[in-house]
Amino acid sequence: MRRFELTLPRSIDEAVRVLRDRGSDAKLLAGGTDLLPQMKNGLLKPACVVDLSGVAQVRTLEPAARGLRVGAAVPARALERDTVVRSTYTSLAESAALVGSVQVRNLATLGGNVCNAAPSADMAPPLLALEAVAVIVGPRGERRVPFADFFTGVRRTVLGADEILIEIVVPPPGPRSGGQYLRHTPRRELDIAVVGVASQLTLSNGACTKARIALAAVAPVPLRAHEAEQALEGKPVTAEAIEQAAELAVGVARPISDQRGSADYRRHLVRVLTRRTLRTALTRAGG
Amino acid sequence: MAVMKTTREVKGVGLAIPRPDGPEKVTGQVQYVADIKPKGMLHAKLLRSPHAHARIVKIDTSRAKTLPGVRAILTARDIPELKRKAPTRAHAVLAIDRVVFAGQPVAAIAADDLAIAEEAMDLIDVEYEVLPAAVDPLKSMQVGAPPVADAGTEADTSEALAHSGVAVARSEPTAPAKAVNIAQQAKLARGDVARGFAEADVVVEKTYRVPMVHQGYLEPHAVLAQWDANGQLTLYSSTQGSFNTRSEVADVLHIEENRIKVIPVECGGGFGGKIRALCEPITAILARVTKRPVRYVMTRREELEAGMPAPQVIIRLKTGATRDGTLTALDGETVIESGAFSGAVLTMSAVFLSSVYQFPAFEVRGFEVLTHKPSIAAYRAPTAPQTFFAIDSQMELMARELGLDAVEFRLRHLMKEGDPMANGQPWQSNGATQVLQRLAEHPLWKSRAEWKARSGKDGRGLCGTGLALGGWIPGLQPTGATVRLNPDGSLQVLTGQVDIAGTNIALAQIAASAYGLDIDRVKITTGDTDTAPMTGLSAGSKTVYTVGTAVMQAAQDARRQTLEIAAKEMEAAIEDLEIEDGRVVVRGVPDKGVTLASIGKKGNLYMSKVPPVLGVAHPAFAQQAPAFAAQLARIEVDPDTGEVTLHDFVVVQDAGRAINPLGVEGQMQGGAVQSLGIALTEAMMYDDSGRLMNPSLLDYRKLTAADLPNIETIIVEVPAPAGPFGARGVGEPPIVPAPAALANAVHDATGIRLTEAPLTSERIALALAAAR
Amino acid sequence: MPKQMLSCIVNGETVEVLVQPYVTLLDALREDLDLTGPKEGCGTGDCGACTVHLDGEPIASCLMLAMQARGREVRTIEGLAGSGALHPLQDAFVRLGVPQCGFCIPGVLMAAAALLAQNPRPTQEQIRYGIAGNLCRCTGYTKMLAAITEAAGALPARGV
Repeated sequence: MRRFELTLPRSIDEAVRVLRDRGSDAKLLAGGTDLLPQMKNGLLKPACVVDLSGVAQVRTLEPAARGLRVGAAVPARALERDTVVRSTYTSLAESAALVGSVQVRNLATLGGNVCNAAPSADMAPPLLALEAVAVIVGPRGERRVPFADFFTGVRRTVLGADEILIEIVVPPPGPRSGGQYLRHTPRRELDIAVVGVASQLTLSNGACTKARIALAAVAPVPLRAHEAEQALEGKPVTAEAIEQAAELAVGVARPISDQRGSADYRRHLVRVLTRRTLRTALTRAGG
Repeated sequence: MAVMKTTREVKGVGLAIPRPDGPEKVTGQVQYVADIKPKGMLHAKLLRSPHAHARIVKIDTSRAKTLPGVRAILTARDIPELKRKAPTRAHAVLAIDRVVFAGQPVAAIAADDLAIAEEAMDLIDVEYEVLPAAVDPLKSMQVGAPPVADAGTEADTSEALAHSGVAVARSEPTAPAKAVNIAQQAKLARGDVARGFAEADVVVEKTYRVPMVHQGYLEPHAVLAQWDANGQLTLYSSTQGSFNTRSEVADVLHIEENRIKVIPVECGGGFGGKIRALCEPITAILARVTKRPVRYVMTRREELEAGMPAPQVIIRLKTGATRDGTLTALDGETVIESGAFSGAVLTMSAVFLSSVYQFPAFEVRGFEVLTHKPSIAAYRAPTAPQTFFAIDSQMELMARELGLDAVEFRLRHLMKEGDPMANGQPWQSNGATQVLQRLAEHPLWKSRAEWKARSGKDGRGLCGTGLALGGWIPGLQPTGATVRLNPDGSLQVLTGQVDIAGTNIALAQIAASAYGLDIDRVKITTGDTDTAPMTGLSAGSKTVYTVGTAVMQAAQDARRQTLEIAAKEMEAAIEDLEIEDGRVVVRGVPDKGVTLASIGKKGNLYMSKVPPVLGVAHPAFAQQAPAFAAQLARIEVDPDTGEVTLHDFVVVQDAGRAINPLGVEGQMQGGAVQSLGIALTEAMMYDDSGRLMNPSLLDYRKLTAADLPNIETIIVEVPAPAGPFGARGVGEPPIVPAPAALANAVHDATGIRLTEAPLTSERIALALAAAR
Repeated sequence: MPKQMLSCIVNGETVEVLVQPYVTLLDALREDLDLTGPKEGCGTGDCGACTVHLDGEPIASCLMLAMQARGREVRTIEGLAGSGALHPLQDAFVRLGVPQCGFCIPGVLMAAAALLAQNPRPTQEQIRYGIAGNLCRCTGYTKMLAAITEAAGALPARGV
């Protein structure tokens, strides 16, 4: 890495001030698992790095009845292990458990994963399927953005250069709701999603009242499969309905062919993983 | 060859004992080059070309030179001794006016720390004129392809000759090529191929392809260079051959070999990727210019972009047999892509294609093709995994088409000792038949039908089993060793052999058994190029076979000298003497005798007339000892995603004589997993402009512990007539069979035959979807 | 560029050392504290050779800036054994002939030690996933599994 200045703020306000003063010269550092490799490859050469390790506010994990509040710098490993996240926000725990390796998960943060905004970000589809909200702080105060609107392009988000994602809020899925995150990778660890899918189903009186399906690595941004969701809602979740939803999910994917997979294979995987996650979500919802 | 007789078993050959450097390694104390930091050391970085083929119009280093902390910046212009046309990769220290692969160094920097060196790289301005690049080997071998080598550059056949040695002698070169990027050609032929195909009832024709793969050693190339006031250069290098490195560096720098000392530091893996000098010359030059020690450690990205990988091999193969299973003819073409500099082992592929299974009529044409990519070295058994991928798949396909048992079909046609190799030389004794038979007796093979029947039941995917046979003909290289008796009666062994594979403990065991002293009294040292006898590469599976022979002979020599001294002192006949429990005794009279310590002391005493015991051997070798392994995979394939789960994997290997079974198992398991990587996940992927698309370990995928089962090992021993205690080389055979074994297993599970490695989940899933 | 003061605990001892702000924890351990046990195999968190413990958890030290370790506790392979004897994992690795080139071994041992501290009786699959972040090119992992299994049996059920 090239040389840079390092600032060690002790509060979010202090960090915001640094960003406001240094602008695009500055980069935020939490877990470093995306930032440092990019700096070592010369893709990013910030003159100033702002380390959030000393800001306690962004490291808290609070599962509560009214929802899950995850500090942006909570490591994936904490989400992987937390009993409430595993039982109630299962797809989020599953996605966290898949990032890199244990040595990476102890550093990589939820906030870093979504702010890096790779199309393949594993923790993004569960946040979309669980309708999570981003809490953002900047010089003009705090704002909240649903994750459905958070990603704007490849490695681009709604964050301004002087703004910091401080917390992710996930509303409780409610009773009779279940979800799963699955991805396909060539290896079982140390890998990155060729395709990732999160499904969440909520049932009532034998029918699906809410369906959410989110895809990673098949478009410039992680995205929801709205038509597939609508096709499931309001009726019983049968095998045919799942098949139909899987097919509609393929329709929303616009994957590229790259060294990790061809567009054909990715579309194929969308169908397979949507089908599988819907089946599991149904079982977990008690259907 | 005589085995030393002792009245009591000596603890030596055959013991499964751990390496003595275990404690150092598990505590992090062992030092690699990057751990060594002399006073005043500078850090080196190389600026590399982003283009695969380009003319260097201009390099301006003026801005970079002004950066504080930069101590030297060099381009080719600053190094007058560089040859205008670099004959080998090592000579291409910095590109002069043309780059021939993306990643080729064009400028060198020495700075106070790495961050400053990286910033200096940003400040060097290079103007390139990008030229068309030869990227696809099949296109590159055509007339009119963009030329890779400078006209007149000779092909480097030295490694090819070291490996094929005897085998190359009778190959017939074809007419000179008009295609400029064909660096070497060979043709081996016998009998009437056309008639053989005319007589065949079954003909199978396929093209097999295995891409370039990287050896993947965990420790990147690293070298520390230091000159002293007398103009002597010391190189601490992560190398598989200190003497080889010394010779190459001497040649590149135009200095005498004895002005260079190469110290082989603990090597964090080589597998053939560190058999040539690579970073040593430029690091030495930076050290000379700055008058400071300079250390250069490659990044992982540099390793992948600009290391010395294994070649891509494309084999077109056509084979014929009659209805009763008699082989009639084989026609094959092997294209080996060497990257920007020649040096492939060409004829081994032809030998393995046409004479492991005895075809009465064959023609095999081999081509080494240059492309604008980093030049290759070996990755264990060079071209063998790719070649056996082809011939073993082909034998399996023919057996299926004929309705014959695949193992029986192989065994029926497998060469035996004395059968002709493709060049007319006879096959030496080997255990190919034995390893295949032993594997066929394994319960996993015998129960393959039951396993397959479980497909689709209880949530299982498609179940299948596959096996394959592969092997290597280890190389030979002359070498030397000494064995000294210490004044306390312990033994001291010296070689120049870099101990990568744990060979040192095996060599010590050989010395122990050959001399007659328990292993715990034997110390072995790897000397540097100033102190050790000439030694070849730690490669080619030849360490135990050649250096082991030298050590054995030196130990025998030391034993003879010891007994001579004792005979004089005890006034006994040598034939009656024995070494037992650290003493020389008359056989049958164990309570009288002379201690080894007393003999050792006397040889070191002031005014003594007793000479020191110094056993010396410096043999050359003529007889190669082929070594074979057979591997089996039991798999399950997810029919939707194409993912392969490896449930079981077995390696049966002929070690000749397992000097240290623990070490042999380690080689079998490690080589098998390398082989599985080639089979399932590894490929260097280049874009159309010749740039590597996956220069990181995220996208260059080596298998993790979570992807693998336990690797079961079964050692078979068919003694090698000229091997020390019958030992054969064991390092290379295990990398050979898995690609074919997996292709056979996938075929068994899915009905799909893949002929292009790696057998990725994408390839399997899309083939299955197409077949539905 | 001025150096910064890194205060932390390394292998049980309080440490204060001046480091460049732009170096990783791995670099600082190796170059400023002479703890060369952790290795750089890739620099991007893809091989595990740099694994050390941070507050008892295994991390890729090549992905962390040195100053991010301020006030925290770091343990390297040099601090795995108590004074004198080898940790049961180290002992098992030696006796079962695990290390070949040795480059991956410090990282594997640190990952395995963390695994056993948190899961004293792991299944074979849990062990495999526990070291799945550590690439080894020499051994094929089989002997590592046997050694870790054996060491688990030698440790008290509560872990170390």
